[in-house]
Amino acid sequence: MSREPVDELIERQRKEPEAVYKERAEIFEDAVNLKTPARTPVALFTCGHFFSKWFKPSVIYFDYGKIKDASLKLIESFPVDFSVMAPAAEGFIFSVAFADAPEIAPTIRFLTGPMHDIVKDKYTRWPGRELPEHLPFQFIGGEYVEPEEYRQLIEGPIDFVNSVVLPRACENLSKPGSALYVKSIARFAFEGSKFTSSLVDINAALAKNYGLPPFPATFAYAPLDFIGDFLRHPTGVMLDIRRHPDLVKQAAEALVEPIVKVGLALKPLGAKYAFIPLHLNEMLPPKLYNEFYWPALKEVILELYKSDIKSFVFFEGDHMPHVDTILELPKGWGIAYFERPKDFIKVYEKLRGHSCVMGGIPVSLLHSGTPKKIDEYVKKLLKATAPNEGLILAPGVAEITPETPDANLKALINAALKYIGENR
Amino acid sequence: MSVSEEFIKSILELDERKALEIARRRLEAGEDPLKILGDLTIAADKIGEKYEKGEFFIADLVMAGEIMKGISELVRPKLKELGKVREVVGKLVIGTVQGDIHDIGKNIAVTMAEAAGFEVIDLGVDVPPEKFVEAIKQYNPNIVGMSCLITVGLESMKKTVDAIKEAGLRDRVKIIIGGGRVDEYAKEYAGADAWTNSAAEGVRIMLKWIREKAR
Repeated sequence: MSREPVDELIERQRKEPEAVYKERAEIFEDAVNLKTPARTPVALFTCGHFFSKWFKPSVIYFDYGKIKDASLKLIESFPVDFSVMAPAAEGFIFSVAFADAPEIAPTIRFLTGPMHDIVKDKYTRWPGRELPEHLPFQFIGGEYVEPEEYRQLIEGPIDFVNSVVLPRACENLSKPGSALYVKSIARFAFEGSKFTSSLVDINAALAKNYGLPPFPATFAYAPLDFIGDFLRHPTGVMLDIRRHPDLVKQAAEALVEPIVKVGLALKPLGAKYAFIPLHLNEMLPPKLYNEFYWPALKEVILELYKSDIKSFVFFEGDHMPHVDTILELPKGWGIAYFERPKDFIKVYEKLRGHSCVMGGIPVSLLHSGTPKKIDEYVKKLLKATAPNEGLILAPGVAEITPETPDANLKALINAALKYIGENR
Repeated sequence: MSVSEEFIKSILELDERKALEIARRRLEAGEDPLKILGDLTIAADKIGEKYEKGEFFIADLVMAGEIMKGISELVRPKLKELGKVREVVGKLVIGTVQGDIHDIGKNIAVTMAEAAGFEVIDLGVDVPPEKFVEAIKQYNPNIVGMSCLITVGLESMKKTVDAIKEAGLRDRVKIIIGGGRVDEYAKEYAGADAWTNSAAEGVRIMLKWIREKAR
């Protein structure tokens, strides 16, 4: 087989990581600034399941050292241009609980295996704990708050989270003030800081060894998702919207301030992008989205933007019915990462020149397609979106499976290297 | 507009109070509870149609499911009292596939399918292939529904279809896969007959299969 561009990049990133670093930083900046990069960047996200190519899930989620090994292996074999690897579950509620402690809030944004062991939260299930050893962790959320309690949330969201929600949602935090509670909270914060340090270390190693620039991220959340994911369960909040519309609206509004506080906590350390993963978005009809979901989310995005933090929003599912609302944001507001809009090209066209658009690659295509199919797919996509200004290719944040053939992932990266300029 | 039409309209408009009120009134007036349940089958099909047209979203299905569940609960005691049984339109064995413990989508599908008149055998979450096979042997369903949220499910769905084939049962059932991550690629890979991202569309596909078979 002839040598492909992806093989060259694998070699080059090892031999001249500094040059590759510069090249990647440039194409990423160009894409975010809505220009046509020298080549279209490819991004890859993982919450760790992909790492079970190399390590058992029951090991990888509990051992930060192994996470480093796996992260290096991943970039060594699959030279993507932009990657966020956080083998940890959704834990934004803990950040909100600590919203008034900016030195802690961002470090506990993700819930790692050891952090789960410490607080014994009921939101998540882990391999080797509640799940068999070979499975990835799973977030299942739950219903911890009654509709009658919205008022209390509205009056003081941070207090409400600390005094009502977490004691119900975490076994070891069930008695605030008890010895177990104090010990668990202290160890939890300590563990979060340990995990954050390990990520900093991993990023430095990836930059040094393979020329992968780190992503200067901070974190925020859509207020209504906060209610759905951590308080009322998604189906609960969907019913609340119809049964208690005013309370839901006020609760979402009350959550804007603490969420923005969390988002700004990492600014002094150089954070530039607030990652905001959406969940309920595709489930809501436009009328409800526009009335209950979008206003509070938009406020979060705009507040952060005022402080020079761009948002990096993951639009889960098919966001197509709501895509016009994105145009209400100022041009260059951030990165719109789409999981699987019905028509990615249409979405791109709509946002072209206004938003940096990321996505376009179905996870199922990588999992079950062939290198040839993937090559053709990417070629077609790049041609249809030529000259690819403000575009980043990525599979959805929904986990790439460990069964995904290496050749398929390489074919994706290869195609992005191959189809540029006239070759598109 | 007939009571029946008004009733179906109130469900489609997701007017919970009105739909339950009409159901109550119909029962009090001595109407055959089977007729009321028959209207739910029509409503479920129409809800699927609305979803396909892009007029309904998951949040609408959740509300519609809740309303139909409420109506079924109202009707059930009356049905029992009269010694009547609702005619089953078809039998569905459903579960979230092995490795996945998420059940929101599957539960919406169960609610909608039951409202539509299916007898539903819910195998729960993290269901291994052999359990699907056993259930097919035991219950002899028309349709097998497999649900997953996370991508672990893509592999499990294929394994489950393979197991059904190996057991020589593939020709006996139609297979539909559903969930947030499934699509045409996933359907082809698994070897299923249909895929859907929504319970309502799924129920509509299943009703179509049942009608086709009846012909």
